[in-house]
Amino acid sequence: MCASEIVLEGKKIGKKYGKLEVLRGISIRIKRGETKVIIGPSGSGKSTLLRILGLLEPPTKGTVIFKGMDVYASNKLNLNKIRSKIGFVFQQPSLFRHLTALDNVKLGLKVVRKMRDDEAKRKALEALRLVHMEEWIDHYPAQLSGGQQQRVAIARALAMDPDVLLMDEPTASLDIELTWEVIEVMEELAKKGITMLVVTHEIPFAKEVANEICFMSEGMIHECDIPENLLRNPKTPRAKAFLKRLIGEFGGR
Amino acid sequence: MSSFSWLSWWSPFIFKGFLMTLKMSAAGLTGGFVLGSLLALGDVYGGKITKAVVNAYVEFFRGSPLIVQLLMFYYGIPALTGYEWSAVTAGAITLMLNSAAYQKGYFKGAMESIPKDQLMAARSLGMSTRQIVLHIVLPQTYRIVIPAWSNEFVSLTKSTSALLIIGIMELTATAMTISALTFKPLQVYSVTAIIYFIWIYFALKIIEYIYERIRIPGLGETKTL
Repeated sequence: MCASEIVLEGKKIGKKYGKLEVLRGISIRIKRGETKVIIGPSGSGKSTLLRILGLLEPPTKGTVIFKGMDVYASNKLNLNKIRSKIGFVFQQPSLFRHLTALDNVKLGLKVVRKMRDDEAKRKALEALRLVHMEEWIDHYPAQLSGGQQQRVAIARALAMDPDVLLMDEPTASLDIELTWEVIEVMEELAKKGITMLVVTHEIPFAKEVANEICFMSEGMIHECDIPENLLRNPKTPRAKAFLKRLIGEFGGR
Repeated sequence: MSSFSWLSWWSPFIFKGFLMTLKMSAAGLTGGFVLGSLLALGDVYGGKITKAVVNAYVEFFRGSPLIVQLLMFYYGIPALTGYEWSAVTAGAITLMLNSAAYQKGYFKGAMESIPKDQLMAARSLGMSTRQIVLHIVLPQTYRIVIPAWSNEFVSLTKSTSALLIIGIMELTATAMTISALTFKPLQVYSVTAIIYFIWIYFALKIIEYIYERIRIPGLGETKTL
Protein backbone atom coordinates (compact mmCIF):
# COMPACT_ATOMS: atom_id res chain seq x y z
CA MET A 1 0.00 0.00 0.00
CA CYS A 2 1.44 3.37 -1.03
CA ALA A 3 2.37 5.53 1.95
CA SER A 4 1.06 8.68 0.29
CA GLU A 5 -2.23 7.05 -0.72
CA ILE A 6 -5.05 9.56 -0.45
CA VAL A 7 -7.71 8.00 1.72
CA LEU A 8 -10.29 10.74 1.70
CA GLU A 9 -10.64 13.78 -0.46
CA GLY A 10 -13.13 16.60 -0.65
CA LYS A 11 -13.26 18.18 -4.10
CA LYS A 12 -14.55 21.74 -4.49
CA ILE A 13 -17.15 21.14 -1.79
CA GLY A 14 -19.89 23.73 -1.54
CA LYS A 15 -22.80 23.69 0.88
CA LYS A 16 -25.82 25.94 1.09
CA TYR A 17 -28.67 25.87 3.59
CA GLY A 18 -31.32 27.87 1.78
CA LYS A 19 -29.62 31.12 0.90
CA LEU A 20 -26.88 30.70 3.49
CA GLU A 21 -23.64 29.58 1.91
CA VAL A 22 -21.67 27.66 4.53
CA LEU A 23 -18.91 26.13 2.41
CA ARG A 24 -17.42 27.78 -0.68
CA GLY A 25 -15.58 25.29 -2.85
CA ILE A 26 -13.30 23.55 -0.34
CA SER A 27 -10.75 21.00 -1.49
CA ILE A 28 -8.92 18.89 1.05
CA ARG A 29 -6.97 15.62 0.97
CA ILE A 30 -6.15 13.25 3.80
CA LYS A 31 -3.29 10.85 3.17
CA ARG A 32 -2.92 7.47 4.84
CA GLY A 33 -1.18 7.74 8.20
CA GLU A 34 -1.32 11.51 8.44
CA THR A 35 -2.94 13.64 11.12
CA LYS A 36 -4.47 16.77 9.69
CA VAL A 37 -5.92 19.43 11.94
CA ILE A 38 -8.45 22.09 11.00
CA ILE A 39 -8.65 25.25 13.08
CA GLY A 40 -10.82 28.27 12.60
CA PRO A 41 -13.39 30.48 14.28
CA SER A 42 -16.90 29.28 15.19
CA GLY A 43 -19.32 29.36 12.28
CA SER A 44 -16.60 28.90 9.68
CA GLY A 45 -18.14 25.63 8.45
CA LYS A 46 -15.66 23.17 10.02
CA SER A 47 -18.32 20.82 11.39
CA THR A 48 -20.31 20.95 8.15
CA LEU A 49 -17.18 20.05 6.19
CA LEU A 50 -16.52 17.09 8.49
CA ARG A 51 -20.11 15.85 8.22
CA ILE A 52 -19.87 16.03 4.44
CA LEU A 53 -16.55 14.17 4.41
CA GLY A 54 -18.10 11.60 6.76
CA LEU A 55 -21.00 11.19 4.28
CA LEU A 56 -23.47 12.25 6.95
CA GLU A 57 -24.86 14.92 4.64
CA PRO A 58 -24.40 15.53 0.92
CA PRO A 59 -22.61 18.57 -0.48
CA THR A 60 -24.54 21.06 -2.60
CA LYS A 61 -21.57 21.27 -4.97
CA GLY A 62 -18.46 19.20 -5.47
CA THR A 63 -17.93 15.64 -4.30
CA VAL A 64 -16.19 13.32 -1.87
CA ILE A 65 -13.64 10.76 -3.02
CA PHE A 66 -13.00 7.80 -0.75
CA LYS A 67 -9.98 5.67 -1.67
CA GLY A 68 -10.16 6.89 -5.26
CA MET A 69 -13.91 6.33 -5.58
CA ASP A 70 -16.28 9.23 -6.20
CA VAL A 71 -19.01 8.36 -3.70
CA TYR A 72 -21.67 10.51 -5.36
CA ALA A 73 -20.88 9.44 -8.94
CA SER A 74 -23.26 6.49 -8.89
CA ASN A 75 -26.49 5.68 -7.08
CA LYS A 76 -25.36 2.07 -6.94
CA LEU A 77 -22.71 2.70 -4.30
CA ASN A 78 -23.70 1.62 -0.82
CA LEU A 79 -23.08 4.75 1.25
CA ASN A 80 -23.61 2.88 4.54
CA LYS A 81 -20.78 0.51 3.65
CA ILE A 82 -18.45 3.44 2.95
CA ARG A 83 -19.58 5.28 6.10
CA SER A 84 -18.58 2.24 8.13
CA LYS A 85 -15.01 2.74 6.92
CA ILE A 86 -14.94 6.41 7.95
CA GLY A 87 -14.85 6.75 11.73
CA PHE A 88 -16.57 9.78 13.22
CA VAL A 89 -16.29 11.28 16.68
CA PHE A 90 -18.71 14.10 17.45
CA GLN A 91 -18.52 17.11 19.77
CA GLN A 92 -20.92 15.35 22.11
CA PRO A 93 -20.03 11.71 22.88
CA SER A 94 -23.40 10.57 21.41
CA LEU A 95 -23.27 7.16 23.06
CA PHE A 96 -26.29 4.88 22.82
CA ARG A 97 -27.70 5.41 26.29
CA HIS A 98 -29.40 2.02 26.60
CA LEU A 99 -26.14 0.15 26.10
CA THR A 100 -23.09 -0.35 28.29
CA ALA A 101 -19.69 0.94 27.15
CA LEU A 102 -18.85 -2.53 25.82
CA ASP A 103 -22.16 -2.92 24.00
CA ASN A 104 -21.82 0.56 22.49
CA VAL A 105 -18.57 -0.56 20.88
CA LYS A 106 -19.88 -4.01 19.95
CA LEU A 107 -23.05 -2.80 18.23
CA GLY A 108 -21.49 -1.63 14.96
CA LEU A 109 -19.33 -4.76 14.78
CA LYS A 110 -22.34 -7.05 15.18
CA VAL A 111 -24.92 -5.15 13.18
CA VAL A 112 -22.81 -3.66 10.40
CA ARG A 113 -19.80 -5.99 10.24
CA LYS A 114 -21.98 -9.04 11.09
CA MET A 115 -19.41 -10.39 13.56
CA ARG A 116 -20.23 -13.18 16.00
CA ASP A 117 -20.74 -12.02 19.57
CA ASP A 118 -17.45 -13.42 20.92
CA GLU A 119 -15.53 -12.01 17.98
CA ALA A 120 -17.17 -8.58 18.41
CA LYS A 121 -16.46 -8.66 22.13
CA ARG A 122 -12.77 -9.40 21.59
CA LYS A 123 -12.49 -6.58 19.06
CA ALA A 124 -14.46 -4.14 21.26
CA LEU A 125 -12.29 -4.91 24.28
CA GLU A 126 -9.19 -4.28 22.19
CA ALA A 127 -10.53 -0.84 21.18
CA LEU A 128 -11.57 -0.02 24.75
CA ARG A 129 -8.10 -0.94 25.99
CA LEU A 130 -6.63 1.45 23.44
CA VAL A 131 -8.53 4.33 25.04
CA HIS A 132 -7.87 3.03 28.60
CA MET A 133 -11.53 2.23 29.29
CA GLU A 134 -11.23 -1.51 29.96
CA GLU A 135 -12.18 -0.98 33.62
CA TRP A 136 -15.50 0.62 32.72
CA ILE A 137 -16.95 -1.75 30.16
CA ASP A 138 -20.10 -2.59 32.13
CA HIS A 139 -21.02 1.01 32.87
CA TYR A 140 -23.85 2.81 31.12
CA PRO A 141 -23.13 6.23 29.56
CA ALA A 142 -24.91 8.05 32.41
CA GLN A 143 -22.49 6.41 34.85
CA LEU A 144 -19.41 7.75 33.03
CA SER A 145 -17.83 11.20 33.04
CA GLY A 146 -17.88 13.27 29.84
CA GLY A 147 -14.24 12.42 29.14
CA GLN A 148 -14.85 8.70 29.66
CA GLN A 149 -17.90 8.85 27.40
CA GLN A 150 -15.86 10.53 24.70
CA ARG A 151 -13.15 7.88 25.00
CA VAL A 152 -15.79 5.17 24.55
CA ALA A 153 -17.05 7.06 21.49
CA ILE A 154 -13.50 7.03 20.11
CA ALA A 155 -13.25 3.28 20.82
CA ARG A 156 -16.59 2.74 19.07
CA ALA A 157 -15.27 4.45 15.95
CA LEU A 158 -11.86 2.72 16.13
CA ALA A 159 -13.28 -0.78 16.57
CA MET A 160 -14.70 -0.59 13.05
CA ASP A 161 -11.11 -0.39 11.70
CA PRO A 162 -11.82 2.79 9.78
CA ASP A 163 -9.49 3.97 7.03
CA VAL A 164 -9.74 7.45 8.45
CA LEU A 165 -11.02 8.92 11.69
CA LEU A 166 -12.82 12.27 11.59
CA MET A 167 -13.04 14.11 14.90
CA ASP A 168 -15.21 17.17 15.29
CA GLU A 169 -13.97 19.13 18.31
CA PRO A 170 -14.13 16.04 20.53
CA THR A 171 -13.18 18.04 23.61
CA ALA A 172 -15.52 21.00 23.01
CA SER A 173 -18.10 19.81 25.53
CA LEU A 174 -15.58 18.92 28.26
CA ASP A 175 -13.95 20.90 31.03
CA ILE A 176 -10.15 21.28 31.12
CA GLU A 177 -9.42 18.25 33.28
CA LEU A 178 -11.52 15.92 31.15
CA THR A 179 -10.17 17.49 27.97
CA TRP A 180 -6.68 16.25 28.75
CA GLU A 181 -7.63 12.61 29.15
CA VAL A 182 -9.19 12.73 25.66
CA ILE A 183 -6.29 14.69 24.16
CA GLU A 184 -3.82 12.11 25.52
CA VAL A 185 -5.75 9.33 23.79
CA MET A 186 -5.84 11.33 20.55
CA GLU A 187 -2.08 11.88 20.74
CA GLU A 188 -1.51 8.16 21.25
CA LEU A 189 -3.66 7.36 18.22
CA ALA A 190 -1.80 9.87 16.07
CA LYS A 191 1.51 8.37 17.14
CA LYS A 192 0.20 4.90 16.23
CA GLY A 193 -0.25 6.20 12.69
CA ILE A 194 -4.04 6.23 12.60
CA THR A 195 -5.19 8.50 9.78
CA MET A 196 -7.06 11.41 11.34
CA LEU A 197 -8.70 14.67 10.39
CA VAL A 198 -9.37 16.62 13.57
CA VAL A 199 -11.20 19.87 14.10
CA THR A 200 -9.86 21.30 17.34
CA HIS A 201 -8.76 24.41 19.13
CA GLU A 202 -6.24 22.45 21.19
CA ILE A 203 -3.10 24.10 19.82
CA PRO A 204 -0.64 22.01 21.89
CA PHE A 205 -2.19 18.85 20.41
CA ALA A 206 -1.99 20.27 16.90
CA LYS A 207 1.59 21.34 17.43
CA GLU A 208 2.60 17.97 18.84
CA VAL A 209 1.03 15.55 16.39
CA ALA A 210 -0.35 17.25 13.28
CA ASN A 211 1.44 16.73 9.98
CA GLU A 212 -0.43 19.70 8.66
CA ILE A 213 -2.78 22.35 10.01
CA CYS A 214 -5.39 24.06 7.86
CA PHE A 215 -6.95 27.36 8.79
CA MET A 216 -10.59 27.71 7.82
CA SER A 217 -12.82 30.76 7.94
CA GLU A 218 -16.06 31.84 6.26
CA GLY A 219 -16.48 28.52 4.46
CA MET A 220 -13.01 28.51 2.89
CA ILE A 221 -9.63 27.04 3.69
CA HIS A 222 -7.30 30.02 3.69
CA GLU A 223 -4.04 28.17 4.19
CA CYS A 224 -2.56 24.80 5.11
CA ASP A 225 0.98 24.28 6.34
CA ILE A 226 3.13 22.32 8.75
CA PRO A 227 2.37 23.31 12.37
CA GLU A 228 5.59 25.22 12.86
CA ASN A 229 4.93 27.49 9.91
CA LEU A 230 1.23 27.99 10.33
CA LEU A 231 1.34 28.61 14.07
CA ARG A 232 4.39 30.89 14.00
CA ASN A 233 4.09 32.65 10.68
CA PRO A 234 0.60 32.44 9.26
CA LYS A 235 0.43 33.95 5.79
CA THR A 236 -3.10 35.26 5.71
CA PRO A 237 -4.27 38.19 7.87
CA ARG A 238 -7.37 36.20 9.00
CA ALA A 239 -5.25 33.33 10.27
CA LYS A 240 -2.90 35.77 11.96
CA ALA A 241 -5.75 37.52 13.78
CA PHE A 242 -7.36 34.21 14.77
CA LEU A 243 -4.17 32.67 16.11
CA LYS A 244 -3.29 35.83 17.98
CA ARG A 245 -6.61 35.58 19.82
CA LEU A 246 -6.44 31.80 20.29
CA ILE A 247 -2.85 31.60 21.48
CA GLY A 248 -3.45 34.64 23.64
CA GLU A 249 -6.38 32.85 25.25
CA PHE A 250 -4.64 29.47 25.72
CA GLY A 251 -1.11 30.88 25.85
CA GLY A 252 0.14 28.76 28.71
CA ARG A 253 -1.13 25.39 27.37
CA MET B 1 -80.29 -15.51 52.20
CA SER B 2 -77.28 -13.24 52.42
CA SER B 3 -76.78 -10.33 49.99
CA PHE B 4 -73.93 -12.15 48.28
CA SER B 5 -75.25 -15.72 48.13
CA TRP B 6 -75.97 -15.17 44.40
CA LEU B 7 -72.19 -14.87 43.89
CA SER B 8 -71.34 -18.56 44.29
CA TRP B 9 -73.90 -19.57 41.67
CA TRP B 10 -72.98 -16.87 39.20
CA SER B 11 -69.21 -16.83 39.76
CA PRO B 12 -68.37 -19.17 36.80
CA PHE B 13 -70.19 -16.72 34.51
CA ILE B 14 -68.38 -13.77 36.07
CA PHE B 15 -65.08 -15.57 35.62
CA LYS B 16 -65.90 -16.28 31.98
CA GLY B 17 -66.78 -12.60 31.48
CA PHE B 18 -63.54 -11.56 33.15
CA LEU B 19 -61.55 -13.87 30.86
CA MET B 20 -63.24 -12.28 27.85
CA THR B 21 -62.27 -8.85 29.20
CA LEU B 22 -58.66 -10.03 29.54
CA LYS B 23 -58.67 -11.54 26.06
CA MET B 24 -60.04 -8.39 24.45
CA SER B 25 -57.69 -6.11 26.42
CA ALA B 26 -54.72 -8.24 25.40
CA ALA B 27 -55.78 -8.19 21.74
CA GLY B 28 -56.31 -4.42 21.76
CA LEU B 29 -53.09 -3.65 23.60
CA THR B 30 -50.91 -6.02 21.58
CA GLY B 31 -52.28 -5.00 18.20
CA GLY B 32 -52.28 -1.36 19.27
CA PHE B 33 -48.69 -1.72 20.40
CA VAL B 34 -47.48 -2.92 17.01
CA LEU B 35 -49.62 -0.52 14.97
CA GLY B 36 -48.98 2.37 17.40
CA SER B 37 -45.21 1.83 17.05
CA LEU B 38 -45.44 1.95 13.26
CA LEU B 39 -47.63 5.07 13.38
CA ALA B 40 -45.17 6.79 15.72
CA LEU B 41 -42.22 5.90 13.48
CA GLY B 42 -44.15 7.30 10.52
CA ASP B 43 -44.98 10.48 12.39
CA VAL B 44 -41.48 11.07 13.78
CA TYR B 45 -39.31 9.95 10.87
CA GLY B 46 -41.69 9.88 7.88
CA GLY B 47 -42.21 12.40 5.11
CA LYS B 48 -44.99 14.99 4.90
CA ILE B 49 -47.54 12.63 3.36
CA THR B 50 -46.89 9.89 5.90
CA LYS B 51 -47.23 12.38 8.77
CA ALA B 52 -50.51 13.69 7.32
CA VAL B 53 -51.96 10.17 6.96
CA VAL B 54 -50.89 9.24 10.51
CA ASN B 55 -52.39 12.40 11.95
CA ALA B 56 -55.69 11.94 10.08
CA TYR B 57 -55.87 8.38 11.45
CA VAL B 58 -55.16 9.51 15.00
CA GLU B 59 -57.65 12.38 14.83
CA PHE B 60 -60.37 10.03 13.63
CA PHE B 61 -59.89 7.44 16.37
CA ARG B 62 -59.34 9.94 19.15
CA GLY B 63 -62.08 12.26 17.96
CA SER B 64 -64.99 9.80 17.87
CA PRO B 65 -66.50 7.66 20.65
CA LEU B 66 -65.34 4.06 20.94
CA ILE B 67 -68.95 2.86 20.95
CA VAL B 68 -69.56 4.55 17.60
CA GLN B 69 -66.40 2.96 16.22
CA LEU B 70 -67.50 -0.48 17.44
CA LEU B 71 -70.92 -0.13 15.82
CA MET B 72 -69.37 1.23 12.62
CA PHE B 73 -66.95 -1.67 12.25
CA TYR B 74 -69.24 -4.46 13.43
CA TYR B 75 -72.24 -3.46 11.30
CA GLY B 76 -70.61 -1.19 8.73
CA ILE B 77 -67.93 -3.51 7.33
CA PRO B 78 -70.37 -6.38 6.50
CA ALA B 79 -72.76 -3.84 4.94
CA LEU B 80 -69.95 -2.41 2.84
CA THR B 81 -68.09 -5.59 1.84
CA GLY B 82 -70.58 -8.40 2.37
CA TYR B 83 -68.02 -10.07 4.65
CA GLU B 84 -69.64 -11.23 7.89
CA TRP B 85 -67.42 -11.26 10.93
CA SER B 86 -67.96 -12.23 14.52
CA ALA B 87 -68.51 -9.62 17.24
CA VAL B 88 -65.31 -10.80 18.95
CA THR B 89 -63.20 -10.28 15.81
CA ALA B 90 -64.80 -6.91 15.06
CA GLY B 91 -64.40 -5.86 18.71
CA ALA B 92 -60.76 -6.91 18.92
CA ILE B 93 -59.86 -5.13 15.69
CA THR B 94 -61.70 -1.96 16.69
CA LEU B 95 -59.99 -1.92 20.09
CA MET B 96 -56.64 -2.44 18.40
CA LEU B 97 -57.20 0.40 15.90
CA ASN B 98 -58.46 2.69 18.65
CA SER B 99 -55.65 1.88 21.08
CA ALA B 100 -53.02 2.32 18.36
CA ALA B 101 -54.05 5.97 18.03
CA TYR B 102 -53.41 6.56 21.73
CA GLN B 103 -50.31 4.38 21.97
CA LYS B 104 -48.83 6.26 19.02
CA GLY B 105 -48.88 9.43 21.12
CA TYR B 106 -46.94 7.79 23.95
CA PHE B 107 -44.39 6.20 21.58
CA LYS B 108 -43.93 9.44 19.68
CA GLY B 109 -43.11 11.32 22.89
CA ALA B 110 -40.55 8.68 23.87
CA MET B 111 -38.97 8.61 20.40
CA GLU B 112 -38.63 12.36 20.36
CA SER B 113 -36.81 12.27 23.68
CA ILE B 114 -33.97 10.20 22.16
CA PRO B 115 -31.20 12.68 21.32
CA LYS B 116 -30.75 13.10 17.56
CA ASP B 117 -26.97 12.86 17.88
CA GLN B 118 -27.33 9.15 18.66
CA LEU B 119 -29.03 8.62 15.31
CA MET B 120 -26.23 10.51 13.57
CA ALA B 121 -23.63 8.41 15.46
CA ALA B 122 -25.40 5.21 14.36
CA ARG B 123 -25.45 6.48 10.79
CA SER B 124 -21.71 7.19 10.99
CA LEU B 125 -21.12 3.54 11.94
CA GLY B 126 -22.77 2.58 8.66
CA MET B 127 -26.11 1.44 10.07
CA SER B 128 -29.12 1.51 7.77
CA THR B 129 -32.37 3.22 8.75
CA ARG B 130 -33.92 -0.16 9.55
CA GLN B 131 -30.99 -1.11 11.77
CA ILE B 132 -31.13 2.26 13.54
CA VAL B 133 -34.84 1.80 14.27
CA LEU B 134 -34.37 -1.78 15.51
CA HIS B 135 -31.20 -1.34 17.56
CA ILE B 136 -31.31 2.30 18.72
CA VAL B 137 -34.79 3.81 18.52
CA LEU B 138 -37.17 1.02 19.60
CA PRO B 139 -35.15 -0.44 22.51
CA GLN B 140 -34.94 3.02 24.07
CA THR B 141 -38.52 3.97 23.20
CA TYR B 142 -40.03 0.89 24.84
CA ARG B 143 -38.05 1.43 28.04
CA ILE B 144 -38.76 5.16 28.30
CA VAL B 145 -42.46 4.79 27.50
CA ILE B 146 -43.51 2.27 30.16
CA PRO B 147 -44.75 4.70 32.88
CA ALA B 148 -46.81 6.74 30.40
CA TRP B 149 -47.95 3.63 28.52
CA SER B 150 -49.42 2.13 31.69
CA ASN B 151 -52.16 4.79 31.41
CA GLU B 152 -53.23 3.24 28.13
CA PHE B 153 -53.32 -0.19 29.77
CA VAL B 154 -55.72 1.14 32.43
CA SER B 155 -57.80 3.09 29.96
CA LEU B 156 -58.15 0.25 27.45
CA THR B 157 -58.98 -2.34 30.10
CA LYS B 158 -61.86 -0.14 31.29
CA SER B 159 -62.92 0.65 27.72
CA THR B 160 -63.54 -3.03 26.99
CA SER B 161 -66.86 -2.57 28.80
CA ALA B 162 -68.05 -0.72 25.66
CA LEU B 163 -67.94 -4.10 23.86
CA LEU B 164 -71.32 -4.95 25.40
CA ILE B 165 -72.85 -2.70 22.73
CA ILE B 166 -72.08 -5.33 20.08
CA GLY B 167 -73.14 -8.20 22.33
CA ILE B 168 -69.79 -9.47 23.59
CA MET B 169 -70.17 -11.09 27.00
CA GLU B 170 -67.23 -9.47 28.72
CA LEU B 171 -67.26 -8.60 32.42
CA THR B 172 -69.66 -5.63 32.34
CA ALA B 173 -72.09 -7.32 29.93
CA THR B 174 -72.07 -10.41 32.16
CA ALA B 175 -72.76 -8.21 35.20
CA MET B 176 -75.70 -6.55 33.42
CA THR B 177 -77.23 -9.93 32.71
CA ILE B 178 -76.73 -11.16 36.28
CA SER B 179 -78.13 -7.93 37.67
CA ALA B 180 -81.23 -8.23 35.51
CA LEU B 181 -81.77 -11.81 36.63
CA THR B 182 -81.02 -11.37 40.34
CA PHE B 183 -82.41 -7.86 40.89
CA LYS B 184 -79.29 -7.01 42.91
CA PRO B 185 -77.69 -4.20 40.87
CA LEU B 186 -75.73 -2.63 43.73
CA GLN B 187 -74.07 -5.88 44.82
CA VAL B 188 -73.45 -7.14 41.29
CA TYR B 189 -71.93 -3.92 40.01
CA SER B 190 -69.90 -3.47 43.21
CA VAL B 191 -68.34 -6.89 42.74
CA THR B 192 -67.71 -6.05 39.08
CA ALA B 193 -65.98 -2.77 39.99
CA ILE B 194 -63.87 -4.57 42.59
CA ILE B 195 -62.75 -7.16 40.02
CA TYR B 196 -61.69 -4.40 37.59
CA PHE B 197 -59.94 -2.57 40.42
CA ILE B 198 -58.01 -5.63 41.67
CA TRP B 199 -56.95 -6.67 38.18
CA ILE B 200 -55.78 -3.16 37.24
CA TYR B 201 -54.04 -2.69 40.58
CA PHE B 202 -52.01 -5.91 40.31
CA ALA B 203 -51.32 -5.52 36.59
CA LEU B 204 -49.93 -2.03 37.25
CA LYS B 205 -47.72 -3.46 39.98
CA ILE B 206 -46.41 -6.03 37.47
CA ILE B 207 -45.77 -3.26 34.90
CA GLU B 208 -43.97 -1.21 37.57
CA TYR B 209 -41.84 -4.25 38.47
CA ILE B 210 -40.92 -4.84 34.82
CA TYR B 211 -40.05 -1.15 34.44
CA GLU B 212 -37.74 -1.27 37.44
CA ARG B 213 -36.12 -4.49 36.18
CA ILE B 214 -35.31 -3.16 32.71
CA ARG B 215 -34.67 0.46 33.68
CA ILE B 216 -31.29 1.78 32.59
CA PRO B 217 -29.53 4.53 34.57
CA GLY B 218 -29.94 7.92 32.92
CA LEU B 219 -32.12 6.69 30.07
CA GLY B 220 -34.88 9.17 29.24
CA GLU B 221 -33.37 11.79 31.54
CA THR B 222 -31.84 15.08 30.43
CA LYS B 223 -28.30 14.47 29.29
CA THR B 224 -25.49 16.00 31.31
CA LEU B 225 -21.77 15.61 30.88
